[in-house]
Amino acid sequence: MSRRFTRKGKTLIVSLSAPERELLSGWVPDQLRTVYESEDSENEAKRRLFPVAYLDPTEEEAEGEWQELVHPELRRTRLDALTRLTAALDAAEPGRRGAFLVELASDDVAALLGVLNDARLALGTVLEVSEDTDLADLDAGDAATQGHMIYVWLTHLEGELVDTLLDDMPE
Amino acid sequence: MTTSCASSTSVAPVEIGEPDVDDVVVTDKPWIVIVWNDPVNLMSYVVFVFQKLFGYSREKATRLMHQVHYEGKAAVSSGAREQAETDVARLHAHGLWATMEHPG
Repeated sequence: MSRRFTRKGKTLIVSLSAPERELLSGWVPDQLRTVYESEDSENEAKRRLFPVAYLDPTEEEAEGEWQELVHPELRRTRLDALTRLTAALDAAEPGRRGAFLVELASDDVAALLGVLNDARLALGTVLEVSEDTDLADLDAGDAATQGHMIYVWLTHLEGELVDTLLDDMPE
Repeated sequence: MTTSCASSTSVAPVEIGEPDVDDVVVTDKPWIVIVWNDPVNLMSYVVFVFQKLFGYSREKATRLMHQVHYEGKAAVSSGAREQAETDVARLHAHGLWATMEHPG
């Protein structure tokens, strides 16, 4: 169990600073909503979050039918996760030293994990993050690295959440 | 995300009848679901998703994750076209880069 996430019965509590909570209930969902609702077939982040199922060009018809069936539902599920997470963040009261303790029921946990992962995928695509990208020595004062700073923060937060969830899962 | 795994739990009752042997194509090979490596998804997250979606043990999920990471891809499930399409959709709902192919 990490310091940031603690269990209280079936509820998972995450401790967020005021700026962290603001990012997760404002900037992050705003960016994701724009990607989810984009109709631009050249939008790389959209293509990453809604990839094709078939690589074989002779399956073009099956691909079209599959997308028609899957993509609207996938978009709706992702938009619902944004709404659910925002509601949980809005309900949190400030605790000691200005930190917010956000209570997450199991559906809220899934929403948080989905939003964090989608945000990393979308941001990683836009920033063209590769396995060789050096994210270790970012200058916090440099406006040009702000996207990378958010990406690193999302990575830490998601990593702690996944470790917590893996602890609860059978081996 | 939360509804994406519902398909694995809400299986409608199926009436079992006598199989019509004329309709069964025994030589039909299953479709393979492939997960591809990407530079963003966390290794721990990929293990978590394999366990959650397919009920794999930690050991099997970790082995598949390593295969994706070091070899570039791994076959994670197989079955009829509809099953493979469902698995691909569930993997996409969890942000993994998955495709399906038929071994011919």
